[in-house]
Amino acid sequence: MRSRDGDYSFTLRLCTVVLCFSLALSASDYLISYRCSVQNAALYNEHLDIAKSMKECQGIPDQTLILPSSHNHNFQSIISKHANRFREYLQKLPFEIRSSQTTTNAHINAVTILTLKTQCFKVDFNDTFVTISHLKQPEN
Amino acid sequence: MKYSFVLISLLSIAAFGAEKNSKIPIVTTIPEVNKPLSNTKAEDVTAPSNTTINVVYNKEQAAQAMPPHCTMPAHCAMPPKVEKETPKKDVLSANEPLIISVVGQGVAPVNTTSPAQAYALAKRAATADAYRLIAEKVKGVSVDGQDLIKNMMVKRSTVRTSVQAMVRNANIVETTFKDGLCEVEMEITLSRSDFAQ
Repeated sequence: MRSRDGDYSFTLRLCTVVLCFSLALSASDYLISYRCSVQNAALYNEHLDIAKSMKECQGIPDQTLILPSSHNHNFQSIISKHANRFREYLQKLPFEIRSSQTTTNAHINAVTILTLKTQCFKVDFNDTFVTISHLKQPEN
Repeated sequence: MKYSFVLISLLSIAAFGAEKNSKIPIVTTIPEVNKPLSNTKAEDVTAPSNTTINVVYNKEQAAQAMPPHCTMPAHCAMPPKVEKETPKKDVLSANEPLIISVVGQGVAPVNTTSPAQAYALAKRAATADAYRLIAEKVKGVSVDGQDLIKNMMVKRSTVRTSVQAMVRNANIVETTFKDGLCEVEMEITLSRSDFAQ
């Protein structure tokens, strides 16, 4: 039976579903990948991809970085403010390097590609700072 | 009768001796290689006392005949030298970590809006170069070359070098930026525990 205040049971159900989904999505886990291409000693392409994880990541916190946030809970804006520190932090993680150099008739063409494969990070937001922890995958 | 027995015995002894003399040449002609067997006569043959055979070897044959420790025949009289084998030392010892340090170089792109942007981009390029150098030092480089020759002239000469590796825990020690060139000194510490199986 429909009440005067509206469909109360439907609202309750919807809120429950949203709450469950928000818990299941685990908002504090982020997936980050990085790719940087250098040709002839000059940077020509760089990608830093950040996305919220759709499911909770499994792993042990390995390397930790603390960045000031000043009540900002937008992770991408925090990282863009402290890009250099974050890149130095990423360098501790396993980078894949692919480099090739071709010399044809004394003309040199060198390409180096650095790739950080998609890694899961646990991000804890606080009032004044944010803690970023790399989750190391358990070895089988 | 007595004389007949004595005569027969003397004849038999003489015949036995003649048979013995006829067998000698076959045995003793072996050292004299140059003389053909058909020319040998029983009177020429004397019993060999000390026969010396001089054989001329090639150098290769001589080397094969000599023991491995001597190169000259005079050296063969000396006892062979026993070389002390030094134990091979591992590159990575259990106690001492190995520090590899490289300097990567990078330049800023032409179309930068500010010196700060130029510095940041040059530093990233230098960092990638330093990573490449570390990978080349630790893992090695694969080299491939190709020359195209046409009408006795080199048309195209190509050398390709490539490396692919995974590097972690690299540290930037020092960064310098001068005249548009950024240099990044990077080092990595390798220890045996990193490679424990």
